[in-house]
Amino acid sequence: MATHEEITESLRVFTEKYNKNERLKIMNRDWNRVVVVQATDVDSQHTLTLVDGVVSLKEGKASNPDLTVISDSETLADIFYGDITPTGPYNNGTLRIIGSEDDIIRLDFISLMIWGE
Amino acid sequence: MKRVVSVSLGSARRDHKVQVELLGESFEIARRGTDGDFEKAVELLKELDGKVDAIGLGGIDVFLWVRQKRFAIQDGLKLMEAVKITPVVDGSGLKNTLEREVVRILARETNLIKKGTKVLMVSSVDRFGMAEAMSELGCDVTFGDLIFAAGIPYPIKTVEELEELANKLLPEITKMPFHMIYPTGKKQESQDEAKVQKFAGYYQDAEVIAGDFHLIRRFMPSGLKGQTILTNTTTPDDVAFLKEKGVGTLVTTTPVYEGRSFGTNVMEAALVAILGKPWAEITPEEYLGLLEKLNFRPQILNLQ
Repeated sequence: MATHEEITESLRVFTEKYNKNERLKIMNRDWNRVVVVQATDVDSQHTLTLVDGVVSLKEGKASNPDLTVISDSETLADIFYGDITPTGPYNNGTLRIIGSEDDIIRLDFISLMIWGE
Repeated sequence: MKRVVSVSLGSARRDHKVQVELLGESFEIARRGTDGDFEKAVELLKELDGKVDAIGLGGIDVFLWVRQKRFAIQDGLKLMEAVKITPVVDGSGLKNTLEREVVRILARETNLIKKGTKVLMVSSVDRFGMAEAMSELGCDVTFGDLIFAAGIPYPIKTVEELEELANKLLPEITKMPFHMIYPTGKKQESQDEAKVQKFAGYYQDAEVIAGDFHLIRRFMPSGLKGQTILTNTTTPDDVAFLKEKGVGTLVTTTPVYEGRSFGTNVMEAALVAILGKPWAEITPEEYLGLLEKLNFRPQILNLQ
């Protein structure tokens, strides 16, 4: 089990990696979205906000997210640290994402673009 | 008579059956769609296994070739593994050979593709041979894989960047449920209106729009100005659709029988049945030699 602080740190690493990737920022200039990341086994909620291609992180849960990413704390930390890709947990049901299918696919592409290879 | 059947995840409304003669031998070639129903496709494949001469898998790719690297789509592999006796192919072997050749033929013998031609490939990781051939010819190619598969408005402009992104993304994307990355079943009969509007400019700017027909159709805007479409698996209804959208010329890479241009999976299955040897042992040169003997040529249809 990961702690709230570990999830926060993994999301900070993810945010930094994303914002350093100029190509990703260009790719997502049209995609303003609010993404809530929620753990199921510890009290931990975060909000990622994408505006004009740039992502920012806040602790706590936004009220009307476009996407909600739900999983156990360990899986969330692993995904956002880039230790595992989201595809496996998504396919086996460990990771749930609530939102439109188009947004889910796009989020998947973004995380692979950061950590892929 | 040899029997070749294409089992497709696509709509059953596109089903058809023809009899053709290839190199003096009679063939019955049929296509059977399963409306995106994966389990139904598995059942049908099991039912046909051992009873026909070759099977093609349609509406899904199994292997994506990016230069020498091969990526396997997990859902496609599951279908392939349902067949134990009959040779089963997805068309990727032939696609890599045939479509590369088609681009060269069109450049040599027509005015449709030349250096500087603005080409939109709606998807290119499933047609890397065509993508490379266009690029080698000096066409101004926009590879639309991220645009149309993921909704990311990022036109890839070089084969090198396409390859870099493919190597990064495909190992994982191929594990995703296929219906998330490609329109299957009923989705093939409709258009994604939001994306049609959002991405219309890519179609309008291009002189040639190439790639998978279902993707081309799903995102095609109205009011095109005589563009050329380079694809296959078109029906008479599709031809009417393209005409209505303002397309000027339709080029199909596979032969047209009774108004239908077959998928490469069907043609590859027929070639495997002719060659009579295990699919894995067939070389691109053997396919090319056979295509020449059969005089397979791109079919050009003027729509204006």
